[in-house]
Amino acid sequence: MQYSILLLFLILTALSALVFTFVFISSKKVGISGQGLSNPLQKRFWFLLILFVVLGIFASVTIPRSPYFLFADEVPARVVHVAARQFAFLLSDKAIDPENPEGKDSIEFLANELVEFRVTSLDVNHGFAIYNPSNRLIAQTQAMPGYVNRLRWKFKEPGKYTILCLEFCGMAHQVMRSSFTVK
Amino acid sequence: MESIKLRKITSLWILIVLVLFIVNIVLGILMRLNQGEIIHQSPITFYANMTTHGLTQIGIWFVAGMAAVNYLLQRYVKTSYSANVVAMVLTVIGILMLWSSTYIGKFHAGWTFLYPLPLRIMWAKWATPMFFGSILVMGVGWLTWSVSMMTQLLKKYPLTRALAWQHFKKNPSTQTPPFILITMITLIGIITCLLGAVLLLAMYSAEYFSNGTFVNDALLMKNLTFFFGHTIANEMLYLGLAVIYELFPEVGGRPKWKTTWYVALAWNCTLVFILTAFFHHLYMDFVQPVGFQIVGQIASYMASLPAAGVTVFSVLVAVYRTPIKWSLTNLLFFIGVAGWVIGGLGAVIDVTITNNFVLHNTLWVPAHFHTYNALGNVLFSLAFFHWFSIQFTGGIHKEKFTKLILTLLLIGGIGFLLAFYIGGAESIPRRYSNYPAEFPMAAPLAAGAALFATIYLIAILIFFFNISKRCLNVLFSPS
Repeated sequence: MQYSILLLFLILTALSALVFTFVFISSKKVGISGQGLSNPLQKRFWFLLILFVVLGIFASVTIPRSPYFLFADEVPARVVHVAARQFAFLLSDKAIDPENPEGKDSIEFLANELVEFRVTSLDVNHGFAIYNPSNRLIAQTQAMPGYVNRLRWKFKEPGKYTILCLEFCGMAHQVMRSSFTVK
Repeated sequence: MESIKLRKITSLWILIVLVLFIVNIVLGILMRLNQGEIIHQSPITFYANMTTHGLTQIGIWFVAGMAAVNYLLQRYVKTSYSANVVAMVLTVIGILMLWSSTYIGKFHAGWTFLYPLPLRIMWAKWATPMFFGSILVMGVGWLTWSVSMMTQLLKKYPLTRALAWQHFKKNPSTQTPPFILITMITLIGIITCLLGAVLLLAMYSAEYFSNGTFVNDALLMKNLTFFFGHTIANEMLYLGLAVIYELFPEVGGRPKWKTTWYVALAWNCTLVFILTAFFHHLYMDFVQPVGFQIVGQIASYMASLPAAGVTVFSVLVAVYRTPIKWSLTNLLFFIGVAGWVIGGLGAVIDVTITNNFVLHNTLWVPAHFHTYNALGNVLFSLAFFHWFSIQFTGGIHKEKFTKLILTLLLIGGIGFLLAFYIGGAESIPRRYSNYPAEFPMAAPLAAGAALFATIYLIAILIFFFNISKRCLNVLFSPS
């Protein structure tokens, strides 16, 4: 998905750069009698209207696919509790006691089963980002002290998934990680 | 006519901003070199650099925009020299406090200082209050400056006129210059978000001095942090746009732009959207009410409409098939607007919640904000600096190295930014002092980015040496 986004961005960037270059060259080439754009007000109106409609369509298509609504009507097959703290993740099938936090050494899921992660933090804000076996970011939520974020996901591809912290949390942020396996 | 004192203090602002900018680019290059495994810093040093780089950059380009607006505002109303001086003194003290907290005290919670990280002391104990003190000192200076400018504006233009509401009727009896309209809208936004910062600091200090008897709510604190941080970072862009509205036609030898009903409407709408767009920083906090998340996406989209539809279109129309006197000033404005549009495209992609799900806190984030800063807002301010510096050369001036400066800025800027965008597409996390083995492209991209950033730095150095002499002449001239 990320490379499709990059491609879209590069196409839009190239178009914008072309427009600016074309406009700049038109100014250099025109003589002293250049009159500028005819009917700019009318053209601006259409430009704004098209932009408004494009963004409106983009919003109405993308908002219903937001992660808050993912698998909302289904019952999760597995619930995993996640407690993040400087600089490790604890994962457990049982609720984690903040006074005596403990996690499981290894977690496994079946491919295509619906998993709900209940993510919180025992100290500062952390990120809970899931990378697939090809090291591509596929899903994430934040781990915030005092709150539980619920992230639902179905893992299609078997293999080892890496969890990385994506919210800066202090001097060892870059080594805060965990993993699980999908069979 | 502007006073000589204003001329001198504006020169001093320009010199301070450029010197700090050069130091700050070096900090950025050091960070990318470390990530590229060319040099080896401890993670604490890296994160201290990161904290310093972020807040210094926000601070200097904010004051650069304010200094430019203050200088041009003198054409319409008398501004307070004392407020300008207070802002300068407090900004310099604030920056020194910030740097002492990060380099002596080793404070390294990031410029967004997300609660409760600054209170989990992993540095000298005094560094946390020193860091917050630096924000407080700078904030007081900026609030004084903003309120002073707004007061002076309101003395001449009643609020409804400053906001150009009379343009909503047919044939308005009075005109509000676009510069006044945008300045007013921006000042309202700045004062509002600075008041948000006051609340944030009050809540931090309540917890800091409570000895554990009072604990803040993390979600509320995060909302407040981004209400302040996101808004101030965007308002500084609008300061640059105000300058474009005032100077772009003038420098190109064209008639001044006028406020029309849709310019007035667009900017009035921007005031609302920009104050609610910050919600997009909390998309990945699923406990935030979903309504706020959707408002975040729609407000972020809508905030781009007036800006793109009015400002960008105005600039393009002003240039298209029109004879323009091109100089370094309006070339920097023109390229800056293009950079701002492209950074805006990266931002619109990122504020779409479904995209943010896989881009949030990856290198895509620094990619887009560095685009509309390094190749957008910074160029707006450099354009003003250049224009200002040649005002007092007796009308005879031919800038040397214009092509060289622009070429280096573009090559350096584009190469440096592209490494960030590719890094975002590769899912490489941001704010990592060193990259894990899962990302084999991360280190080479960072090293390449450092090289291109050095090219950008060379352009800034040439620009600086070109205009610093003229600014020093203004500063030390007897009249």
